[in-house]
Amino acid sequence: MAHIQWTSDLDTNIQVIDNQHRRIVDYINQLDDVNESKNPAEIEQVLNDLVDYTLSHFAFEESLMEEAGYPFINGHKRVHELFVKRVSDFQQRFKMGEDISRELLIVLKSWLINHIKSDDNDYVSLVQSNLTQDSKKNTDGWITRSVKKFFR
Amino acid sequence: MAYIEWKDDLATGISVIDSQHKRIIHYINQLTDALRLNDNILTGEVLINLIDYTLSHFAFEESLMEEAHYHAANIHRQTHDAFRNKITDYQKRHEKGEQVTDELFQLLNIWLMNHIAEDDSSYVPAVRENIPGINTNQKQGWIKSKISEFFK
Repeated sequence: MAHIQWTSDLDTNIQVIDNQHRRIVDYINQLDDVNESKNPAEIEQVLNDLVDYTLSHFAFEESLMEEAGYPFINGHKRVHELFVKRVSDFQQRFKMGEDISRELLIVLKSWLINHIKSDDNDYVSLVQSNLTQDSKKNTDGWITRSVKKFFR
Repeated sequence: MAYIEWKDDLATGISVIDSQHKRIIHYINQLTDALRLNDNILTGEVLINLIDYTLSHFAFEESLMEEAHYHAANIHRQTHDAFRNKITDYQKRHEKGEQVTDELFQLLNIWLMNHIAEDDSSYVPAVRENIPGINTNQKQGWIKSKISEFFK
């Protein structure tokens, strides 16, 4: 399948979030590559890495929204939860020996793009203005602290 | 089948919800295209995307309604459940080799569009009133939409 190409309409212009989104895109493209190899151990490794990283990213993003007082945080969290459950169902099916990679790649690609363009886009202005205020108050370091907390 | 166009009377005025509804419509139109082209692979892909995105959207909406203590949240959720059950049903029939695309398309095109146009508007006042922070966003959104309406 075709790799996801990063296009500017995927930018939230919150640097730390964009970096994380790009990293997730890299994992999805990597999954696409190992899928061609048909080596289950390799596929499993990338799948686990992708899940791990995405979970950290969600936790980071949720904390950013909370900090900014984003009103739709609970709905957004629910969407994250549902996605995590969806992917772990795929992991289970994969462990049972089912070939899930094509369906999973379709879901991952479109889910991520939809989520960034629609759901994430909605919190951007509030989070941005919150981050600007923070840096004016010289309380920066919050991002650095949170990155350390969520990404080992 | 004609394309569905986004019209202002479909707007709930809650921008995140409207943006999700627009993406659903985008997928329904893609499905129309795929069916017209008789492209089975594309149809399969669009169906996965459309269903996946709709289920994610429902989860978001349900969380919003619960949080706003919308009095008919349960009824609304039951409507979503009915949709989820129908989808599972179609998936099972599809796995058995039955041709379900036309029926499924009717469900997605007619039921879902009715749901967006009719049912969704009813929870909006409760959500606007009871979710802290949403009113200011709403005002900005309203001002922005007026500006773009009058100053093209």
